[in-house]
Amino acid sequence: MPYWYYDRKDLQNTPSFRDGIPNDTENRYRKEGARFIIDTGSKMDLGYNTVATGVVYFHRFYMFHSFRTFPRYITACCCLFLAGKVEETPKKCKDIIKVAKSLLNEHKFSTFGEDPKEEVMTLERILLQTIKFDLQVEHPYGYLLKYAKCLKGDKTKLQKMVQMAWTFVNDSLCTTLCLQWEPEVIAVALMFLAGKLSKFEVVDWNGRTPKHTAWWDMFVEDITMELLEDICHQANVIADSMQYPGNASLR
Amino acid sequence: MSSSGSSSSQSPPNMASISDVSALFQTAKKYEELNVIGTGAYGTVYKARDLHNGGQIVAMKKVKVALTEDGIPLSTLREIALLRQLEAYRHPNIVRLLDVCHGGQSMERDHQLVLFLVFEHVEQDLDSYLKRAPGPLSENRIRNMSYDILSGVDFLHSHRIVHRDLKPHNLLVTSSGRVKLADFGLAKTYDTEMKLTSVVVTLWYRPPEVLLGVPYNTAVDVWSSGCVLAQLHSRAPLLQGGCDSEQLHCIFRLLGRPARHEWPESAAIPVDSFPDYPPRDLAALLPRAHPQALRLIQGMLVFDPAKRLTALDCLEHPYFTEEPLT
Ligand SMILES: Nc1ncnc2c1ncn2[C@@H]1O[C@H](COP(=O)(O)OP(=O)(O)O)[C@@H](O)[C@H]1O
Ligand SMILES: [Mg+2]
Repeated sequence: MPYWYYDRKDLQNTPSFRDGIPNDTENRYRKEGARFIIDTGSKMDLGYNTVATGVVYFHRFYMFHSFRTFPRYITACCCLFLAGKVEETPKKCKDIIKVAKSLLNEHKFSTFGEDPKEEVMTLERILLQTIKFDLQVEHPYGYLLKYAKCLKGDKTKLQKMVQMAWTFVNDSLCTTLCLQWEPEVIAVALMFLAGKLSKFEVVDWNGRTPKHTAWWDMFVEDITMELLEDICHQANVIADSMQYPGNASLR
Repeated sequence: MSSSGSSSSQSPPNMASISDVSALFQTAKKYEELNVIGTGAYGTVYKARDLHNGGQIVAMKKVKVALTEDGIPLSTLREIALLRQLEAYRHPNIVRLLDVCHGGQSMERDHQLVLFLVFEHVEQDLDSYLKRAPGPLSENRIRNMSYDILSGVDFLHSHRIVHRDLKPHNLLVTSSGRVKLADFGLAKTYDTEMKLTSVVVTLWYRPPEVLLGVPYNTAVDVWSSGCVLAQLHSRAPLLQGGCDSEQLHCIFRLLGRPARHEWPESAAIPVDSFPDYPPRDLAALLPRAHPQALRLIQGMLVFDPAKRLTALDCLEHPYFTEEPLT
């Protein structure tokens, strides 16, 4: 079974890096590709699951290939196209390309080549091989809802916290967090962050036992404060530097 | 923004290179085919060597998928996604799916893609196991194999998968005598493919609802398993019809012709087209079987799918619980 999680060192020594692309440039490409999937997806009324699946494919793909060999926007299109089929929300390839064209300037769209649809079709097979047909991907969203159900406290505040955590998950798609941690862990960390920022302190939860020191002990074992803060830091950096207003596209 | 980034500072990459890169993915480079071990209705299974994993022997199934206007069909992707997901449970009675890959570009002109499903190689299938058995299987062996089969079926059903084609050829027997289910989960992929017409599909394990052309569900697998369990005792197929209607005659000669009120309304054939067979005693056909084994099999071979035991019921049957399994 393929394993999709990487440590820091792997994330720095990527195929793109070995191909002469500096890490921060690669991170920007990843962010732009992910953002493009989110924007294309929301323009086509695709749900957050389909969009997130497409983004995860995108990040995994570039752990095996260089951004120099595979320009990011056509890869992004292909990831969204495949995710649409896998999540049973299929969109016609030509329609995705149409939307992509409307979102990109002429120069960027030129990377789609002479026959964009044929290119995407070819890329689909490369993508499938690269992600080893491991098509079903889980996302933090479902876990957020699951965790929220167990937490006790003021309903409005709780709701606000979940909403905020949801937005952080959307933002985290633009980072490589999904290549580092399981969705359960990301959900815990971003809920923790949202709790801190919305000043909602979770003091009690359903299923609490004396062994639990925090609510997440119930769901994920061995989460340290250090880990939570690292994840929040990575997600937060992005949230702060995000130039897009509202983060509303995935609602 | 267009001035940023290394790829945009050069001329756009020539996308024709994508085809060259895909050549790197040729499956042939990863697995070396040794010989054919099975030809079924939909694909060929090869024994192969995994060149990236110390030459480990694997079973590689080739399935041709017709490409559509929009690439690989959604149903095939869904089915593979599910197979991959199931694999995460590593169920002991399901054959391990080690890898999925495809044959690259070469088939493009035919608008089809050759998929390779790479499985752990298991010594033999139950058909050859039974044929090679020097004499009757021990009661203990039968009980363990029966439990293995039903555990696998229950696992599939709990993930909403209907096998649809349980039979000795699709059950694999490991060198230590454990049974694993194979050849499931690609029904929709198969349906869209042209079946190799020369291959005869056996009817012997088909339940009446399928033969009568009425809707069916997971209960089909319980029927088929019941036929296989009976076969473990006798080492011969229980119900050997040569065509659909003959198979129904075989079934009714054993169970008796169903009562009129049990006959499904949408059945393709009227109940009167069968003689009023009286039921037979299963014990006469399987003289060596344990009485609880007979009771279990009888509960599985029930005409009305709604009255048949479920796979979970079977696992909790006294046949398995009265004495501990070894
Ligand atoms: N993992 C395996 N190990 C050993 N033999 C296998 C394996 N999978 C299949 N076979 C052999 O190949 C035959 C055909 O495989 P199967 O998956 O049933 O394909 P089909 O759809 O063509 O029936 C089986 O009946 C069995 O004898
Ligand atoms: Mg078969």
